[in-house]
Amino acid sequence: MDHMSPLERILRAIALALVVLFFMFPIFWIVLMSLQTNETILRSPPSMAFVPTFKNYAAIIAGRLDSNVASMSIHFMGNLMNSVILSVGSVALALVLGVPAAYAFARHKFKGSEDIAFTLLSFRFAPPLLVLLPLTLYFQSLGLANTYVGLIWVYQLICLPLILWIVRGYFEDISPDIEHAYRIAGHGWFATFRKIALPLAGPGIAAAGLLAFIFAWNNFVFALVLASADKQPVTVGALAFVTASGIQYGQIAAAIVMSIAPTLLLALWAQKYLVEGLSLGAVKG
Amino acid sequence: MHEKEKDLISAFLSGGMSRRGLIKRLGALGLTAASAGTLHNLMATQALAAEFDWKKHSGKSIKLLLNKHPYTDAMIANLDAFKELTGMDVTYDVFPEDVYFDKVTAALSSGSSEYDAFMTGAYMTWTYGPAGWIVDHNEWINDPEKTNPMYNWADMLEGVRKSCAWNGVPGGELGSDDAKQWCIPWGYEQNNLTFNKAMLDKAGVAVPTNMSELMEAAAKVQADTDGIYGIGVRGSRSWATIHPGFLSAYSNFGEMDLTNEDGKLSAAMNTAGSKAFHADWVKMIQESGAADWSTHTWYQVGTDLGAGKSAMIFDADILGYFMNGGDNAMAGELAYAGFAANPEAKAPTPNIWIWSLAMTKASKDLDATWYFMQWASGPEHALFGARKMDFVDPVRNSVWEDEMFKEKLNKGYPGYVDMYNASAPGASIKFTPQPLFFDMTTDWAAMLQRMVAKEVPVDEGLDQLAASMNKQLAEAGLR
Repeated sequence: MDHMSPLERILRAIALALVVLFFMFPIFWIVLMSLQTNETILRSPPSMAFVPTFKNYAAIIAGRLDSNVASMSIHFMGNLMNSVILSVGSVALALVLGVPAAYAFARHKFKGSEDIAFTLLSFRFAPPLLVLLPLTLYFQSLGLANTYVGLIWVYQLICLPLILWIVRGYFEDISPDIEHAYRIAGHGWFATFRKIALPLAGPGIAAAGLLAFIFAWNNFVFALVLASADKQPVTVGALAFVTASGIQYGQIAAAIVMSIAPTLLLALWAQKYLVEGLSLGAVKG
Repeated sequence: MHEKEKDLISAFLSGGMSRRGLIKRLGALGLTAASAGTLHNLMATQALAAEFDWKKHSGKSIKLLLNKHPYTDAMIANLDAFKELTGMDVTYDVFPEDVYFDKVTAALSSGSSEYDAFMTGAYMTWTYGPAGWIVDHNEWINDPEKTNPMYNWADMLEGVRKSCAWNGVPGGELGSDDAKQWCIPWGYEQNNLTFNKAMLDKAGVAVPTNMSELMEAAAKVQADTDGIYGIGVRGSRSWATIHPGFLSAYSNFGEMDLTNEDGKLSAAMNTAGSKAFHADWVKMIQESGAADWSTHTWYQVGTDLGAGKSAMIFDADILGYFMNGGDNAMAGELAYAGFAANPEAKAPTPNIWIWSLAMTKASKDLDATWYFMQWASGPEHALFGARKMDFVDPVRNSVWEDEMFKEKLNKGYPGYVDMYNASAPGASIKFTPQPLFFDMTTDWAAMLQRMVAKEVPVDEGLDQLAASMNKQLAEAGLR
């Protein structure tokens, strides 16, 4: 029952509004910046009054950056596409490999299982720069340098341990009795995994997948070292607006808005699963 | 093309006519400066091809690693001329400057043969050269079989050319007889004054000509105009804070970073002269610098000048050049002056940053790569970039003598040519080349921050800095 007085309710609403304002303000400010020219952004003193323009978005989509002295070509849309390919590809591969592995680690204790699981987790401990230089050499001899396949493979250092360890927790939280009952009905282990375990752990898998997607999307250094300019993600591409002839603040803001949009949309779409996933196992009968 | 125009340009290229004469006579034939430039470029390419076997490496391909910069844009805009001249193919990767040197270091240190040549700063070659990642370009420059006779290496500004050559011995003189040419100068930056003329006029302040005047002018103009600060200089905790205005002024007083006695290096920033200079510099920032000076890099210094938030900068001349155009609020309002901080100095002695080109040792075909290098750093491309693009400051004397280029500068950048003429003879790298360069200059910047923040008195801070540097030098076996 709700025992809050009207005053408490109002105070609570104000407090919530303030929290939302605090966290959303930087995004709101960036959206405003993306609709201004450099001149209005940099005027002194700053002002909220301006005539909105979509010039920055148009420049990014058209691939031309008007800097202080000349017009330069930019490839931000290419960077955006690279981020999509690398993030989606690496999460998909990590799910295909990680979810069955997580199930095996959760349900089938075998000799060395913990060692293997910790070895996979240790990929997350290694400082990227420590492994990247040797990897560059291997990639060149294997012909993987500057390929999406090679990068998606390296991105497994981010995605695979994350998905494996998170999803393993979800599988462990599901009662094995349900699976046993299904097995007794004459079904094999793969059918049990597919028909029982996977649907039950679905929200958890979605949550882990989304988290891995965000980590992959935000990665900076792997593609920078291992690939050419045409394979760089948005994290590297966004820096192209910081040029020797000046910083294009409006275009940086527009690029930020465009680069957070896919993750934001994905998070909104997966919100329902996320809540279920994150609270899975929190309440036990 | 009309034969008369062809003949005139041929006469010019063969040295039979001055540039001024060429422009005048082409003008008489009804040719605009722009079309004369295009014509000249085309003819020059043909002339280059006539005297040297440019097709020797036809069919080969090289790959470049480039920084996103107006120099790169100028090269890319003219790249078809090189492809046509040589029959070679050139591919390139362009990375933003913020990550550019990380990419270079990763590529070089892994021994990758992906890139045949790359853009670099001269300071960086003090690491790359001794590590064996790049070549001594003298081998190609001095080989008449490999270098076009019209390349004219001597046309490169002496101070700039020598600043890219080092014998690899810590403390060794730049450009000494035994020096290796680690990189080829491409474009460079002198550190001088760029100022907002209207702001100075409003405050009734003349363009400062020495350190005391600069301090007074910065304070006065700040007091007379609301919401601005007097002087923009860099202040972040980085080596890049030391090399522009700060070191240019410092060295103009005859002060040094290190002394070299029989190959033993010692810190030299705690001399009486150095302490007096530091005290003035710190006071200038405290009184007339940006409130957030300690975060200021190239970008903030330039952006504030362009937005009308600062009256002057003592930084790279090309930063002032860029801020005088585009959609900057102060576009067209800026002017330039050479600056000798020491009232007793005869002329400015700016420290310089040099964007250069270097060949990677791991390149699969250095001879073919050299064909690109000599074209990209050659007189014709330099002229193309200077006239038509924003390839400033050019590193060749011949380009600075070009009337079209000078006219372009005089028209939109008042005082720029005079500034160049006053300071180019004394422009060179003033640092002592040694492997701890980046660490030690970063420490220097950190100490400047502490002194400006009044955490430590100037005298005491410099003694601490010198002691710390001497310790580092000793640990590295350099002292």
